[in-house]
Formats: sequence, structure tokens, C-alpha cells
Amino acid sequence: MSLAALAVVACTTALKNSTTPAGHAAAAAPTPGAFKTAIRRVTESQYRHSISDIFGSDIKINARFEPERREDGLLAIGSRQLSITTSGLEQYFALASSIADQALAEPRRAQTVGCAPADPKKADAACTRKFVARYGEQLFRRPLTEAEIAARVATAETGTAQSGDFYEGLQLALTSMVAAPEFLFRIETAEPDPAAPGQFRLDGYTKATRLAFLIWDSGPDAELLAAARSGAIHTDAGLKQQLDRLTASARLEDGAKAFFTDMLQLDQFESLNKDPLTYPKFSQAVADSAREETLKTIVHHLVTERGDYRDIFTTNETIINRPLAAVYQVPFNSNGEWTRHTFPESSERSGILTQVTFLSLFSHPGRSSPTKRGVKLHEIFMCQPTPDPPADVDFSKVQAIENGTVRERLIDHMINEGCATCHRVSDPAGLTLEHFDGLGQLRTLENGAKIDVAALIEGKQLAGAQGLGRMMHDNPRVPSCLVRNAYYYGVGRAVDDRDEDYLVAQTRAFAADGYKLPQLFTRLASSSEFYKVVKPAGVRPPASAAATPSAASGDAR
Amino acid sequence: MTQRFNRRSLLRGLLGGSAVCLGLPALDIFMDGNGKAYADGAKLPVRFGTYFWGLGLTDTPTGGTRWVPTKHGHGFEITPELQSLAAVKEKVSVFSGFRVIGDGKPNIVHWSGHASILSGTAPVLTGSFDAPSFDTRIADAIGGSTRFKSLDLSPSGKVVNYSTRTGKAFATPETTPLALYTRLFGEGFQDPNAPNWKPDPNIMLRQSVLSAIGDQRLALMADVGRADQTKLDQYFTSLREMENQLSIQQQQPEKCESCVIPKRPDEPKRSASVDVVNANNKAMARLLAMGLACNQTRVFNSVHTPGSSETYIAGDSKIYHQYTHDEPTDAKLGYQPMSSKLAGMVMQGLGDFLGELDAIKEGDGTLLDNSLVLAFSDTGYAKIHSLENIPMILAGGAGGKHKSGQHIAAKGESVTRVSLTAQQLMGVPVGEFGSGAMKTSRPVSEVMA
Repeated sequence: MSLAALAVVACTTALKNSTTPAGHAAAAAPTPGAFKTAIRRVTESQYRHSISDIFGSDIKINARFEPERREDGLLAIGSRQLSITTSGLEQYFALASSIADQALAEPRRAQTVGCAPADPKKADAACTRKFVARYGEQLFRRPLTEAEIAARVATAETGTAQSGDFYEGLQLALTSMVAAPEFLFRIETAEPDPAAPGQFRLDGYTKATRLAFLIWDSGPDAELLAAARSGAIHTDAGLKQQLDRLTASARLEDGAKAFFTDMLQLDQFESLNKDPLTYPKFSQAVADSAREETLKTIVHHLVTERGDYRDIFTTNETIINRPLAAVYQVPFNSNGEWTRHTFPESSERSGILTQVTFLSLFSHPGRSSPTKRGVKLHEIFMCQPTPDPPADVDFSKVQAIENGTVRERLIDHMINEGCATCHRVSDPAGLTLEHFDGLGQLRTLENGAKIDVAALIEGKQLAGAQGLGRMMHDNPRVPSCLVRNAYYYGVGRAVDDRDEDYLVAQTRAFAADGYKLPQLFTRLASSSEFYKVVKPAGVRPPASAAATPSAASGDAR
Repeated sequence: MTQRFNRRSLLRGLLGGSAVCLGLPALDIFMDGNGKAYADGAKLPVRFGTYFWGLGLTDTPTGGTRWVPTKHGHGFEITPELQSLAAVKEKVSVFSGFRVIGDGKPNIVHWSGHASILSGTAPVLTGSFDAPSFDTRIADAIGGSTRFKSLDLSPSGKVVNYSTRTGKAFATPETTPLALYTRLFGEGFQDPNAPNWKPDPNIMLRQSVLSAIGDQRLALMADVGRADQTKLDQYFTSLREMENQLSIQQQQPEKCESCVIPKRPDEPKRSASVDVVNANNKAMARLLAMGLACNQTRVFNSVHTPGSSETYIAGDSKIYHQYTHDEPTDAKLGYQPMSSKLAGMVMQGLGDFLGELDAIKEGDGTLLDNSLVLAFSDTGYAKIHSLENIPMILAGGAGGKHKSGQHIAAKGESVTRVSLTAQQLMGVPVGEFGSGAMKTSRPVSEVMA
């Protein structure tokens, strides 16, 4: 069959279906005046969680995902810039096909499909429509339009006609949804606000999706979709009900893990290299374990125990496995894979800044780097990014000293004015962590010289990692930075002067509440700012909306 | 419902897919009005690639250099840091003195250099280009008739590539020999020399899946902002490229004399040390060369080591990047000895890469003779993040169009002149390239036959 003939067959089928829609699969009609406010590519973990929720946690997802992009400290913000390249689409397409194969394989086939064709060798439009509408709504996070359903029904019929297998057709229809931009991107939509003529609000499905991704790192479940469909999500009571349900669930752990993976830049583990001659204990297992240790510590402390965020900088409790025990040079006495461990005072460990994660990620392949650590500490936990080094520094004065400790080597940066502005901020904090080498192992000597871990930070004299941990615990910028990051993470957008007062108020409430993460998520997601509509540049004015020019060009709340 | 046909699939339908690999001109070039050079119908396809390495090459504070040859034009001498190019010296042109002109924009360290070379525009922000990279234009012109429009590699294992259509989303590279092998010769590969070729019936089914997605394009593009439209455009460009790939797979592949399917490589070794990066680079170059010979792609982009490269000599705790900045200039030698040693080791990667292309015989010459590779770095003298004297090299014969074996010195000229030269040598119908002070309509004509 030629391509042209295939196209003709497909066209005929689509036409036939669009004129005789089957009864039970209601299609969505587009809302007049609606427009798309933002498009963000879903992250790898959002993709994985969504597929697992829709088709089952045993579905294997084996593919290379497109690289993500960090902007203003977060991948969630960078995701607005991302699209899908040719090689990426090949991957997503192959993955979609593999997921569809698994979802439709025996023994789960009947359960997945939910209806049976009259003849498994022939097409069955009614069953196909039902299947497409059901999984389409879960994948696209909103009901499908008639055209979207019809296109998939046509694809399924083509497949069944060619293969003589009804399920082969469904497999193709499902593949086309899992590889579609409507699944791979979060498409946020605004609609005219019935309560405020001329203004816009996020539509119910967009709100449901924001909640689900923030709190569960997955697409909306059936209840959230129902709250969007009924409009309950637009009411305070309806929203509260959903928020309470989502934060009470154990799946809040997934949401917290995803948020901290982004904020702590744990994606950098993907390309972490250590010199095996310098750090023979480093391996992929150590890297994977370190990442897990940090996430487990955070989840245990902030979600399970509903603890104070600031304590993650001072706790001497951690959760380790065998590869990590070797790096920390502590015995591993457990039959399980992971075990809780309390560091003694002499270990100098104090919270997540002294875990292998932070210490090894922000070091060089063969040595530690107080500058990298200091820069990342300010950027990640205090929202104080360091500018790029000036290009025209006179490096002729910066000459290597290859003996003694790094402190002496960095003095050059401190006395060179071009460098000093930034290095005076970054380096002292980093120097307090110098008792940990580039992998995070405790040491007291470098090149035979005793390492000095004292530092003067903002007028206060600190000693070592434990002093730094206490400084972070008491620094008001630390919680305010978390609030800011959580808000940006949820809305996928960076600062706007108009957000400042809001963030100050949110930070105050966070403090008043004992710095609890679940409550923070709830407060953010119940505020109207969280659903603020920002109209993107270049969108055509909605034809049928009674929008005034000012409302169309600015914000509508 | 529409089944999209592009010009290429229609042409293929008209002209058939039966010609042999070695006898068929690149159809797009043919159709773009550059048919003269290809009119005899017996030319080999010409391939294009970019090759990037991080941290430039070594100059000296007194104005000397470890890489710029003293002789100009033909017969230039091989300098210490170009040692790895000795074997292919007559097949390369070395460009020195070219620079980035920022028009008051900041020198974004380890970014402005290659961003300007590739996009023609000095970028405003790190991590973004303000225009597409020009390799995508070449891919549009010559990459449509092969399974992959382009292939992107990153042998250092870092997920870094500088090829971009939007300036924001960059190509996703293959980071190991095994991944490259799988992409090229794994599922979907059709041996062009297999005796009993039959079309795969599944391909048509996959096409119908893509149609169902493509059908929603207009609805999806309605009511979106400009930035979002760019993202969706990129998605649908990728979709069209996949459709094109599938329609190519439905044609009997052209026979390729030099195509021999390589062995599956071992699981990758992961390390940023220069010996491991070079070994991966060499293995990937060999696979890529065979991918080119087997007509799987005609365009590639390889990043040996990224802009602020963390490569190092195994066992040395100090990385190359640190050496470039804080190593003293040796008073007696007049340069930074370790930095220069590392520069030579990194350049070994380019020598190996070109060597692999040159090892495959094609017609009367080699694959390298039928290719053009633009190799370049992010900076000139790395110690001071210089945007002056950024090393650039054109390698390969470009099917007879490149007058290679020369050293072109042009102090203060814009790097975009070399980029424009590469595009014109590849037959892209483009008269000027770049913006602002780097806008140019003057290719380096000395190297153009």
C-alpha cells in the first residue's frame, strides 16, 4: 500500500467517526476565549511517575531522556525553554511504543483496555473510542477534543486493518498519545474568569495539574480530574479538600524528593566524574547511594517526621548503605540495605552540607574546591547566585602554589580586587568544609600541612562544618530561599517584583508554623498568586472574550 | 486527516530510491541550484561536521604562541600543539588571528567564543545562543536524504552539544561508543548491502502514529505565545524529521561500497581524564565514520570536551582548566608547560578523529576527502579567556571544493568569516552570516576552489 492510499483510508475513517461519535466517550469542546499561558516539558521523574500511575509501577521505562536546563537555580524554570530534538523524539517515540506494548500485553490486557471488541481480529470503534478517551484524559491531563479522539481511532483502525489484530490498533493509538506533545509538555491554559469579566483564570485542569505535580510529582489522578471537571477546584472548599488529600498521602514523599532533587541540583550526579587514582572508593554505586542518602534524609526529616527545615543543616542523623559506610569510614551493621546512623561529634558531620552529595558534587575530579562549595552553598540554599568570573582578570598574579593547603592558594584570589568581591563571599564558607576531601572523606591534613577550618562569615567567627551548619540554621535567608524556590518550582516561573511582598508574607507564615514543608506546600497552593495568569507575549487576543486591552496585556488574578 | 509529504518524499517518489550510494547526488543540493558541481551524477556525497574542543590553545604573554604557524598559505609548518594533525596536514586549513567582536556585549567566559562561531551573534546570556547554530542550516540543505539528519556526539560523557535550532534547546548527544553504535546500527538500521531487502511493514504503522500526532498541530499552535510557539515548532520539526526517516526506511537503501557494519563496542568507561576521553573519542569517530560511509547521516557535531573542560591527566589532582588559569608562565620556556602539554593531548583527539575519517576509502580518495569538518574552541589563550586568536581549523576536501593545506592568518577578522566559508563550501545558498560587527559577506576565498 502506498503512503497516499494509507492517507486516504485514514481520512475516510476519521470523517466517518467524527460524524458518528460513540455515546460514552464524551469529548471536550474548546472553551471560547481560552489561551495557553505556558508550555513546559515534563521532567524525567514526572514522566516516570505519570506512566507508573496510569499503567502500573511495573512498566519498564528504559530510555535516555533529553537533558534538562537549569535557570534561576531550578530545572522547573528552565523547563519552559525546552523542546524536543530529533534524537529526543526518537527516544520518546520508542519509549511510547514500549510502554504501549507492555500496557497491552497479557495478562493485564483486559484490565488495561476495559472493554472487549466484538471480534479481536477486527476494528471496534466503540471500544477504541472508550479506550482512547480514558487514557487520553489521563495522559493529556484533560479530556480530549473530538478531533484528538478521531485521529487516534483512525490510527487504530489503520493498524487493525493492516495487522488483523484489534489490539495492534490500540497499541498504535496509545503510542501516539504517549509520544504526543500534549503528554510530553505541560500545556497550561487560561480561560475567561466568569467571576471577573474581562479577566482570566487558569482553567480547572491546569490548576489540578499544578497541584499534582507540586505535591506528587505526577499528573492529576481521577479525583483531581473530577474536581476540575465539576469546577469544584475553583472553590476554596474544593481546593482545600484536594490539598488536604494530596498532602496527607504518602506520595507527598515523591513530591518532596522531586523538589529537592531540583533545588539541590542532584541531576548533576549524572555527569559526576572522580579520578579513580585519587578516589579509589568512588564508583557509580557510591554516587547513586549518596543521592539516595540525601533524599532519604530530607524525606525522613521533613515529610515523615514533619520536622523543622532548618534542622537539616545541623542533624547528625543520616541513613546509609554499605558503599556509603566505606566512604564515611563507619561500620555497617545491618541486614537491610539501608540503616539509620548517628554521627558522633568527632566525625565533624553536620547535616546535608557534610554528606557525600554536597561535598563530592561541588568538587573537582581530583581535589576539593572551597570556591565551588561556597558558590553552591550561597546559590542553592540562600538564593544568592555568584556572577560569572570577570573575563578580563589579570591572572598573571594568580600563580599556583602546589604545596600547603588550599587556603594559601586562595589568598591570591582574595588580594586581587577583580576576584575578591566574589571570592570573599564564597571561599570562607567553603574553607570551613575543608576537613572533607573531594569525595567527602574526613581528613585533617593536605599535602602534609594541617588544615585550618576557621572562617569569618558576616562578622561571625566560625569553626568548621559544624559551625557552618549552625550558621545556616540561624540564617533567615535560608528559609526565605526555600519558600522562594518552592513557589517558583510550583508555578514554573522566576521572580517578578510583584511577588516580593507575597514571598515575604509566605516566609513569615513558614516561620510561624515551625518551618514545616507540607504546610508550606499547602499555603502556597491555596493562595491566589499560585494560580496567577501571566499572558505570554505574542498570543493572539482571544476572539470571543470580553477582555479589555489592559487585562489582555497584563495580569489577571 | 492529512499525510504530510515534504518535497523530499515527493522527489523520492518521482525519482525512485534505486540509485547506488556512490552514484547519487545529494538531492537537496541538486535542487538548491548548486547542481553544477554535481551535474555529472557520479559525485560522492559530501558530509559536514563540527568538532569542538574546550580551552583553546596556548599563547604566551610576550606575544608568542604554541600553535600559530609562522608561514602563511601553503607549506605551513606543524607547530607543537598541532602535532596531532601532521598526518593530515595537507587536508586541513588552519585559521589564526580570527576573533569574536562583542559589540559591547560581555565576554561570557567559555561561552561567547563558540556561540559566536556557530550562531554568528555574540550571546547575551550564558547557556543560550541568540540565533540558531549554522550546522542546522547545512543539515537542512544536505541532511534530508539520510536516516539521521544529523548525529551529535560527546565523548567526554557530558551531555553537552552546541547544535541548536532555537538557541535554547541544544541537541542531545550520544555520550558513549555503545550509545552511538546502538543509534546507528541497532534497531532501524538497514544494511545497504544486504542481498534480500524487504520493506518493514511496521514502518507504515509507525507513520500512522506520527500522523495522528501531527494532525493536532494547528489546534495546538493556536493561542500560544511566541516563545511557546518556538518550542512547538521544534517538536513538529522533529516529528517531520522522523516521518522523513521512516519514508527513507521504506526505500531500498542505496548500495554503499565502503559500508562494513562494525562490531558492537564494550560497555563504556566513565572518566573525564584525557586518556579516557580520547579513547572514547577515537572509538566514536570510527563508528561515526562508518555511519557516514553507510549513508546513515551526512551531518554531525562532536564536542570532545566542553567549554570549561574538567579533563585532566589521570592521577593529577589539578584539572586542565585550573592549569590554564593559574599555572605560571615558565620563564625559560616562555609558556605554561603543563597547559601546553594538555592542549597537545586534547588536540590528539582531533588528529584521531580526522584519522578515522581518512581511514575509509571512498572512490579515488577517502571519506575525509568527501567531508568538511570545522574544528574550533571556545577561547584563544585560555589563561585570560581571550576572544582573540581563537583556533579554527577546516579539515577535509569538501568533495574537491576546499583548497586545503594552508595557514590563513587574519588578525582581528571576525570568526564568522570562517563559519560563512564552511557554509559556502557545503553549497548552502547563503551570502552573509552573523549580526552586528560580526556580520560578514566575505568568506575566506583563499581556501575555496
